[in-house]
Amino acid sequence: MGRIVGIDLGTTNSLVAYTVEQTGQPKCIPGPYGATLCPSVVSIDADGSVIVGEPAKRRLLTQPERTIYSVKRLMGRGPADVQDELKLFPFRVDAASNNVIRVRLGNKVFTPPEISAFILRELKNWAEAFFGEGVDRAVVTVPAYFNDAQRQATKDAGKIAGLEVLRLVNEPTAAALAYGLHEKQRGRVAVYDLGGGTFDISVLKLISTSDGDIYQVLSTNGDTHLGGDDIDNLLQAFVHEKILQHDEIDFSPHGELAQELRRALIGVKHQLSEAETATLRFPLPSGKVFTHEFTRGAFEALIRPVVDRTMGPVKQALADAQLKPSDMDEVVLVGGATRTPLIRRTAQEYFDRKPHTELNPDEVVALGAAVQANILDRGVKNMLLLDVTPLSLGIETYGGAVAKVIPRNSTIPASAQELYTTGVDNQTGIDIHVLQGERELAKDCRSLARFTLKVPPAPAGLPRIEVKFLIDANGILQVAAKDLRTGEQHSIEVQPSYGISDTEIEHMLEESIEYAEQDFAERQLIEARTEAESILAATAKALTNPESASIDAAERARINATIAALKESVAGSDYKLIRKGVDELNHATEHLAELLMNSAVSSALEGRKLAEV
Amino acid sequence: MTTAPTSSSTKPVESQDYFAVFGLPRKLWIEMSELEQKFLQMSWKLHPDNFVNATEQERELSLKRSSELNDAYRTLRDPIARVEYLLAIEGERKEGEKKQQAPPELLEEVFELNESLDELREAKASGENLAGLKARLESAEKNFQGKLGEVDGELQAAAREWDAALKADHAERKEVMARLNELLNRRSYIRNLVTNVTKELAEV
Repeated sequence: MGRIVGIDLGTTNSLVAYTVEQTGQPKCIPGPYGATLCPSVVSIDADGSVIVGEPAKRRLLTQPERTIYSVKRLMGRGPADVQDELKLFPFRVDAASNNVIRVRLGNKVFTPPEISAFILRELKNWAEAFFGEGVDRAVVTVPAYFNDAQRQATKDAGKIAGLEVLRLVNEPTAAALAYGLHEKQRGRVAVYDLGGGTFDISVLKLISTSDGDIYQVLSTNGDTHLGGDDIDNLLQAFVHEKILQHDEIDFSPHGELAQELRRALIGVKHQLSEAETATLRFPLPSGKVFTHEFTRGAFEALIRPVVDRTMGPVKQALADAQLKPSDMDEVVLVGGATRTPLIRRTAQEYFDRKPHTELNPDEVVALGAAVQANILDRGVKNMLLLDVTPLSLGIETYGGAVAKVIPRNSTIPASAQELYTTGVDNQTGIDIHVLQGERELAKDCRSLARFTLKVPPAPAGLPRIEVKFLIDANGILQVAAKDLRTGEQHSIEVQPSYGISDTEIEHMLEESIEYAEQDFAERQLIEARTEAESILAATAKALTNPESASIDAAERARINATIAALKESVAGSDYKLIRKGVDELNHATEHLAELLMNSAVSSALEGRKLAEV
Repeated sequence: MTTAPTSSSTKPVESQDYFAVFGLPRKLWIEMSELEQKFLQMSWKLHPDNFVNATEQERELSLKRSSELNDAYRTLRDPIARVEYLLAIEGERKEGEKKQQAPPELLEEVFELNESLDELREAKASGENLAGLKARLESAEKNFQGKLGEVDGELQAAAREWDAALKADHAERKEVMARLNELLNRRSYIRNLVTNVTKELAEV
């Protein structure tokens, strides 16, 4: 059997990592563009081919109706759950069947696991190109606070991508593994993980034993709908309103415009992590340029609600572990959003110690996944991870109440047995409803599954069926039943409340093989062509801008010649040649781009002067 | 969610009771640091991480044994869950048997408390001044907290008796168990009261 890789399937970016045999240290694998981050963006081309990562991200601007981002937010969720989400994202959701969301991209529809599978397959390809051999097994990370359906959806995505997911590891735990290897920490550790779309807090105890180091998770909490995206949403809403005060622009039909604004604002957000002020300059369709100077203080006031929302789960996790903030020996910050100075300061003040940020917050989760992959592969025998289930498992009882059978923060695998009998003579079935959550009533918890126990006809109260609920090391539920009178094991057909059936997955797997068979060179070609088309379109647009009239004839001729050369190589099938052409055109248009940028800035300044008069 | 396999060719391994999992006698006094040491040692051996490349049978067995270990540790680590579990395996306490009626000696105080709670709810609804009621409830909360402490003390004493009577005759053991069971019921009743009062007060 081949290697096991570690994959961080993130809301914004995804990565794949492995353990370097010689050093025993984990390392991220770069993709064809040399970067280790693969944007979690998928685009379906008109001819049906799939584009993933950086080139797909560029298509968010040019072909938003064929491109999807942040699909992780839809994993394992029902259509009713994502109504709020859909107001912010330009996703087109088709009429759902069986409580499964289906997203339309161009003229095809996909379930969230299928879209995630495209990302996983891309990373699998990166790893295969890197090792020069097949990779078919992986450890994949999930937010610690993911419920059963969200975990199952992630495992399904792996299956569709042709990857056996050997273990789902919780993201904050993975980060602790990576830091543990790096720092040789001991004691109690709090991991604060604010990613693109999810927030997790985990409290761990690192124990040295004669057999090796144990990473025992004591408690975990979080919010699967809280992340850096929410910061971007706040910024976007703020700027939308400002723009609308001056200009009558309807943003929603301009998918493109909203995406461009979002991208510009993310740039501003990043600048504010380093600088005290940053200025947004955003060209509007009217030709005017909207400008706004953000100070760090104003920015922090704007995003404080997001930071405040993380503190509830933090306090709950500490209470569940029966610890105080000052009991923590170490605090680790994970996730791109923790680069924000306000978050660093908040964590430092709350725990009264300087948080660890030494490892790249974008890479640390993938690195931890690679450590766990190495543990499973027995490459390392002196590390053990004991994780917990984030949510209580319950069974609906009489009157719609919930009886908790496995409490939250139980070490997994964990199980519970419940005994069932009949209430009336010759009753042939007992309905069982399994839920996850902390609330008292079934209607307030997350429905995992409903099923009917088959019972042979007998007088009421005589049958004795023992049902075993088991949460495995991935945090996924298994159910088995045993007739205590006959000792017979029952197979239980469990139809998940939110999820895809096994037969449907088989079908998707078959379909996905056609994508798998596009070989490496072919995929490279598709990506290179996409990239070329996007820069050709951008250059053509720039050349029609009145400002471009000021470039001299020689420069214009040089650009035109480079364009012609690139067009010619796009028609051919050598992806390296196309890449070279793209680089050359990028180089040839450097001056032009600068020119246009300056004119945008000066027109913005003029605009301001006019307003001041 | 997956479906468990219908049948397995593995030789069935009988489930052990949680005390036996750790090789402990059915005593209620447990040295916690020793329990933790044993738990960690056994986790090294049983955890599914060690069996990823093993046969399906071994993987099934690891899942079964490690979940049993975790269930046992979770139960024995908690002193109250430990007593409940002991009474269940000794046949003294059946599922759902928890009595929710007020212990006779507390009847009067419980009655008063419930009255104050009703008044508080009414006062909240009509927007009256709550200060007096709040003080009365806070002192009742404190009173029942104290009673909870007393029950815990009695439980500890009864647990020591159980440990001492481990080798005693059936009748004597039965008598200690009945007392433990009654104390557990009283404890759960008082705890519910305290939880309710705390909740109502938090909403003031």
